Amino acid sequence: MVRLWFDKGTLLLKGDVGTPYGKWDPRIGCFRIKALHYRDVLAYFEESQIAFEDTVQQLPPLETLKSTVQLRSYQESALDRWRRNGNRGVLVLPTAAGKTYIALKAVEVLRTQTLIVVPTLDLIDQWRSRIRECLGVESGAVGGGENTVQMITVATYDSAYLQAAILGNRFRLIVFDEVHHLASPSYMQIAEMYTAPYRMGLTATYERIDERHQLLPRLIGDLVFNVAVEELAGKHLAPYSYEKKYVELAPEEQQLYDKEIATFKNYLREKRIVMKSPRDFRRFIMITGRDPRARDALLARNRALKVALNSQEKIKALSKLLEANKNEKVLIFTLHTELVYAISRRFLIPAITYLTPKTERREILENFRKGNYNTIVTSQVLDEGIDVPDATIGYILSGTGSTRAYIQRLGRLLRKVEGKKARLVEIVSKETMEVGMSRRRTHNTKEKQAVASK
Amino acid sequence: MLPSNLLSVWRRKGTIQPRYAKPSTENLQVANKLIEVYKHSVGKKKSILKKVADDLEDKGYDYHLVRALSLLLDRRSVFKCTSQADPAALRQKLFQATGKNGPATTMEQRKTIIEKVASQLELSSEELEKIMYADLESELLLQDFNSVSAQILLEKYNLSLAQTLLFDSTELRFTVSANWQNIFFKTKRLGLIYDAYKDNEIWVKIDGPASLFKLTRRYGTAIAKLLPTIISSPKWTVEAKILWKFTNEIYTFKLKSWKHSPMFGDKQPPESYDSVVEEDFSKRFKALSSGWQLKREPQPVIAGKHVLIPDFSFEREGTKLYMEVVGFWTTEYLMRKIEKLKKTKERILVTVDENLACERLKKLEKRQSLNIIYYRNKIPLPPVLRYLQDAYKETRTQQTEFLKNLNVTFTEPIIKFEEFAKRTGISTEAVRAALTEKTPSNYTVLPDSLIRKDKLEQIRKKLDKQIAKTRNLVLTEAAKITQIEQVYLTSAIQALGYKIIWHGIDTEKAEIVKLENKATKKATTNDKRKQK
Repeated sequence: MVRLWFDKGTLLLKGDVGTPYGKWDPRIGCFRIKALHYRDVLAYFEESQIAFEDTVQQLPPLETLKSTVQLRSYQESALDRWRRNGNRGVLVLPTAAGKTYIALKAVEVLRTQTLIVVPTLDLIDQWRSRIRECLGVESGAVGGGENTVQMITVATYDSAYLQAAILGNRFRLIVFDEVHHLASPSYMQIAEMYTAPYRMGLTATYERIDERHQLLPRLIGDLVFNVAVEELAGKHLAPYSYEKKYVELAPEEQQLYDKEIATFKNYLREKRIVMKSPRDFRRFIMITGRDPRARDALLARNRALKVALNSQEKIKALSKLLEANKNEKVLIFTLHTELVYAISRRFLIPAITYLTPKTERREILENFRKGNYNTIVTSQVLDEGIDVPDATIGYILSGTGSTRAYIQRLGRLLRKVEGKKARLVEIVSKETMEVGMSRRRTHNTKEKQAVASK
Repeated sequence: MLPSNLLSVWRRKGTIQPRYAKPSTENLQVANKLIEVYKHSVGKKKSILKKVADDLEDKGYDYHLVRALSLLLDRRSVFKCTSQADPAALRQKLFQATGKNGPATTMEQRKTIIEKVASQLELSSEELEKIMYADLESELLLQDFNSVSAQILLEKYNLSLAQTLLFDSTELRFTVSANWQNIFFKTKRLGLIYDAYKDNEIWVKIDGPASLFKLTRRYGTAIAKLLPTIISSPKWTVEAKILWKFTNEIYTFKLKSWKHSPMFGDKQPPESYDSVVEEDFSKRFKALSSGWQLKREPQPVIAGKHVLIPDFSFEREGTKLYMEVVGFWTTEYLMRKIEKLKKTKERILVTVDENLACERLKKLEKRQSLNIIYYRNKIPLPPVLRYLQDAYKETRTQQTEFLKNLNVTFTEPIIKFEEFAKRTGISTEAVRAALTEKTPSNYTVLPDSLIRKDKLEQIRKKLDKQIAKTRNLVLTEAAKITQIEQVYLTSAIQALGYKIIWHGIDTEKAEIVKLENKATKKATTNDKRKQK
């Protein structure tokens, strides 16, 4: 008798047959198959009319789902394409285009055990409350201290990866939110170690600088739907404008900045190091591990950047802007945790960083939604997917230089609200390296802005 | 274990090693300084401790070391927030006071809000500002510190380094002198798979289920967790494959107890699983003085792809047997055990306590002709001895048979004992004993083989020639020459009339020289004295 079962993120096959994708495992004397190929193995056995005993899947019980999700036309065609592709594939939609609803509709239509994989703990909460609202059931959660498996379960990428050996056979549909994360070497093993035959990937930024997104079709299916911001802007999304405000450093800041940056540049010149791409920079970082002088240069560069990013003049400029827009809902972004707390103390406004406890973060976002708070200062945690429904202005006090983070931040302000015209203002120090960082970013996203800021 | 950015390594010719912190004066000094600071900072802010670490870095101490040590010390510390009001609740009040009116853009607005909230909470404005973010990590106070010596801190650091490097491992091989049971127990619990093979020692390769498909670092963390258990054995050798993410290259990471044990410090002796029954048997058996060497928890025995760890081994003049003591059991368990035993070439006696049977056992005896001794409470000596004697006789007979047949004249230049044993189906030890006892006249005995005298002479001439040409002969060069003749240099060196002079442990520097007779030897030592 042929027997097929699940073993710690892989399938094992015992019996007198081989199978496509099967590999003989001499350690245990069985064929072993990647869980990813479960669907293919089943198809092969059926086609070859091989009788077999299948104990692979251990599925949680099904529940009755409410049906309240109404899709917009473009969402419907996205779901349709995915269905016609054998319930597999990647959907690319801009932030705020309602990716969540497409996924929930898919769960409703298929009515099957589903794992939703998300990048952050905040997103677990957000998905769970959406599931409660739209489908009328309590979902399970894996990650952030919780560990319950239900018909619909939400997990972080980290937990889904670490627990693949025990969760891998418990779902038939797996949804990857912000699917570009999946292409990283470790996370892609999630796709390989889960048996779920149905797979959906959602993202606003499909392409990765390292080209690894090309791995996704093998793991979850082809890109089946792609709609850009410009196709939806104005109609389904709030239009937004973008402007840059230059601030001069205070004289003593400028002096300190020049001194530190000279140390850095002298070192580069002396060693003839050219720094043009992020790869050059990574190579330089590796040198700092060996050469103490390189490390000094790096530290000087970091200090210079810190001066530019934390400039008092920027705080003054920010203060003016805040004063001028007192009744608007505002988000302030900055990369440096220290600066977040300095701004929080200075203006007495709530702060969210990676250090903020989950309950406090929830309380702040909730009060912001209700309008009890109208300004939040935050570092990177809000980068992806978290709903802040009606912020109308965003201030960026420092940038990461990364295209994706930039788009996602814009997206944060794009929630459609009646009569809203979103504004994004970046406050940049003049005559510093930071200008270069910001220019690089805007260059990459030029086209999208051109459309959006009309 | 440390964050990967604190790991610094040496990479050279395909091998990788962490930069261990030797207990040098400088390293002990850094460790001591940090420990002293922690000791004297109870009641102070965490950010002050970080400041001290930063200062040490600025003074030029290796920042990897400084940061890692302070991290290890953090783990021995208790940090707490001790403010008189709950900072989170206080913040909420404060932000709600700011609330809909928007941020406090002017300093006057700020002051008003703070004073209002402070008076509500019966605090002064200064106290309120102090408490506002007192729960941030950098603001926490050091409550308690579990001190440690500088030496031990460095040892813990070194072990953490090795473990951190193993995070990136794709597989690990090891061999140990003891503690097998413990290691396999842990291996299984960590979801890893092992694969045992024999190459002089018993080696065990460890990886995980998905390793079959491709190189993966997935099991690195579990492998790292296994390391402390492996190295708690008195002797061990560990070899891991590291997939270095920055270059995407595979490196070998080696650890050997004679070299690295001092670096990691003293370990807890491995737990023993002794039961009263075994203890008692061991005592009574030794009291017999039967001529058999009894050993407890011997090296494991290969059974197919897995290993068995018998409780005892018995040895006598090249005859070796094992004994396994079974505790609580069911028929199914015994069957499985016997299946496993069948896969091994070794002879294993199984003793089963009838009192510990979890079901009736009669069925099994009929089905199996395996060597099972049933007993109640205590393992009886006579049947064990009978079994041993029978086995011993059998080997003796085999050996005599073998000696008889030895009249066959050898013609090959080299006869390896191991190969010959395989061909004739008796143990290597027996072959060695027999051939040493009755060496054919035209052969010389080496530790692992017989070699024809003319062949030996031929190799000797080759070496002589090489020395005459190059004056001195490096070990590795000599090994190449003998290898062509399929002779293992170190086993033949004495018979060839040579010896090895070591200059350090580098084989490339070791030299081969002729064994001098006593007169010349004295002369050379005298020369050396003169030179001094």
